[in-house]
Amino acid sequence: MNTAPRSRRLRATLAMAVVIALVGVFVVRLADIQLVQAAELNAQSQNKREIQQVTYGDRGDITANDGTVLAGSVTRYNITAAPAFAADVTVTKTDADGEKTKVAMTVDQVLAEVATITGGSAATMEEALTRDPEANFAFLVKGVDVDAFRAVRDLKNSGVSWLYFERQSARTYPNGSVAGNLTGFVGTDGPQAGLERTADSCLAGTNGSETYERGADGVQLPGSTVTTKEAVAGGTLQLTVDKDLQYMTQQAIAEQGQAIGAESATAVVQEVATGKLLAVADWPTVDPNDVNLTKDVGDLGSKAFTASYEPGSTFKAMTAAMLLDSGKATPTSQATVPYSRSFPWGGEIHDASFHPTERLTLTGILRDSSNVGISLLGQDLSAQARYDYMVKFGLNEPTAVGFLGEPTQGVRAASSWDQQTSINTMFGQGVSTTALHVASIFQTLGNHGVRLPSQLVEGCTAADGTVTPAPAVAGTTVVSPWAADTTVNMLESVVSAGEQKDALTIPGYRVAAKTGTAEMARADGTGYGSDRVVSVAGIAPAEDPKYVVVVSFTKPSTMKTSAAAAPTFNKIMSQVLEMYRVPPSTEPAPAIPQTW
Amino acid sequence: MSNAAIDPIPQRRPSHEPRRAPVEIVTSRAQRRARPRIAYALVATASLFVLLLTQLAISIALSDGAYTISDLQAEKTELTRDQQKYSEQLDVLSSPQNLANNAEQLGMVRNSNPVYLDPTTGAVHGDPAPADGTADGTDNLIPNTLLDGVPLATVAPDAATTDTAAPAASSDAAAQGTPPTDSATTGAATAGSGTPSVASDPDQLAAPRTR
Repeated sequence: MNTAPRSRRLRATLAMAVVIALVGVFVVRLADIQLVQAAELNAQSQNKREIQQVTYGDRGDITANDGTVLAGSVTRYNITAAPAFAADVTVTKTDADGEKTKVAMTVDQVLAEVATITGGSAATMEEALTRDPEANFAFLVKGVDVDAFRAVRDLKNSGVSWLYFERQSARTYPNGSVAGNLTGFVGTDGPQAGLERTADSCLAGTNGSETYERGADGVQLPGSTVTTKEAVAGGTLQLTVDKDLQYMTQQAIAEQGQAIGAESATAVVQEVATGKLLAVADWPTVDPNDVNLTKDVGDLGSKAFTASYEPGSTFKAMTAAMLLDSGKATPTSQATVPYSRSFPWGGEIHDASFHPTERLTLTGILRDSSNVGISLLGQDLSAQARYDYMVKFGLNEPTAVGFLGEPTQGVRAASSWDQQTSINTMFGQGVSTTALHVASIFQTLGNHGVRLPSQLVEGCTAADGTVTPAPAVAGTTVVSPWAADTTVNMLESVVSAGEQKDALTIPGYRVAAKTGTAEMARADGTGYGSDRVVSVAGIAPAEDPKYVVVVSFTKPSTMKTSAAAAPTFNKIMSQVLEMYRVPPSTEPAPAIPQTW
Repeated sequence: MSNAAIDPIPQRRPSHEPRRAPVEIVTSRAQRRARPRIAYALVATASLFVLLLTQLAISIALSDGAYTISDLQAEKTELTRDQQKYSEQLDVLSSPQNLANNAEQLGMVRNSNPVYLDPTTGAVHGDPAPADGTADGTDNLIPNTLLDGVPLATVAPDAATTDTAAPAASSDAAAQGTPPTDSATTGAATAGSGTPSVASDPDQLAAPRTR
């Protein structure tokens, strides 16, 4: 009698237990999905719907002073393929009348067509495809332009589904070698040389990323775009360089460099009142579009900044300014100048060409570029005092530009000079400077004794428009205005009465210049050889100095005197005066006695 | 009274009583108020439908907009690519090397002998001499690999234009009586009325207009 209710209770209990167990399973599963695996599952589902894409922050431009692009970023495309899916395909070709025909294409035919479009090599592509037939990725051609990209894209859309594309940011230098020595270039591992490298913090852009969700047909769902990281384009670096003057200057030194068989040449044009570099030319120079064409690694940068050389007689202008400033000499200080001079320690110096003993003033010594003469007057100033002046002229430190590869060591301390070196430094031997340093000396003389740091960069304009100008700099007074102005007047005698007067004179303008034919020390340290650095440094117009031009040729083979540099100096200075519309001089140069 | 009104069982009335008008069951005001109204239901349902339809329409419009946006973005991308392509070409073409090469190709020479005229005094500084190009006739020495394959301006078409422009114009004028083309015929026919008669010459930069 009791069995029936008991079994009923049992059944009920069992059913309840099963229900509870089921509910428990569900709860556990729910907790597992909703809590434990939630993040992973969410990510999986996101991945199915969500597309992540890179937004590009392109590298900024380097521009000339007028905004002309010297280095710019362009978009290029890499064509890639999935070797695993590379198979013969049927493509739909549309002819001119809109007729569609289906054509079978083998893999080779596809590659041949891609090669024709892009100018790549079909063999290389085939090799890339067959290297790992199971791979999902292989580069076919890198860096094709937009026209080729569109043509290949049409090919893909017509049925070659295993072709893919990648966007790539590439660097282009529309003006080729014009200022290529300054801009430097960017390699696959980033900026390699020049301003591209030193100003990378201004130029570099940052790629961003964004995600969006897409529907089954690939169309972006409205409102689903989430920017995960903002792309920041690089800033624009504006230089002080004038593109046309730079070209003209490079052309001028290249012509003359070839004509006299020089190894290399540099030219610098600097504005006196600001210290801005309007042109810094090197020959030979790199074409940053194709760096491989430059065989000599030394030609990749700017030798005007990086190459140290003993400047020679252009230094006498500075020595004269020191003497005037320290009161040790006046423009008419007299010296009896023989052809050569021997010293108690066994050293001997002599002038460039033989001459009978002459009675010259300091002005005459500069005019004739007499080594003996400058040593006779210069010895009144101690080595330490001359060294201190050189430091004030900025010769023992890199230029304010901070160009890549500038020599860090300038003029050696006076305490390390031996007696002969002390004499030699008066006429620019035994000390090494760069062309920029020589330009800086003449800028100081032209700017009434105040040296301004050389400036190559006008400023950096960030993508958001904020301009970071080059830091404001204060000038350094090196010599007194009288000393500087008088030195400029003395240097006019070089142009009006010196050996190179025909080549140096610019009709209508008063030009102050100093030639230099410096001996080059042999590489093995055994004294001076027959190699020369010929140069001319000068200022115009002399009555109100506006522009400095320094031209130098290293190791000329056919003409080893400054006569080789003078015509090029003249050509560049004429161009500068014409370009910046400097009015011709109205007053004659002051007549300073050159002999006594 | 209300009881009587709702009492469903008719009371037996004495037959002798005079016949009265049949009793009507009248709903009370409360009842009337309590009865559901169809209009409300209709309005509610309709507005629900309207809402759903609006939502559908908005959703259609939105996704349609998504396609439009997608199309326009694709178009913008293509146009940006065009713009970049052309400005890239322009930058290369305006490089000094290209200008120098073209100028030289067109027969221009550099003047290595600048002469200055001082307008205040009228003084001429330097020795005026025609530039002959022999003293300074070197080619462009500054490489630019981007110019490889960029064609130079050629002298021939220009020379042809200048050479033939004058004869073409005169022959046009001479041929007005027997012009070769229909448009010129009308030109000739209406020449007196002031229609430009040499409009058919495409090289003519300044077509005579007598109006």
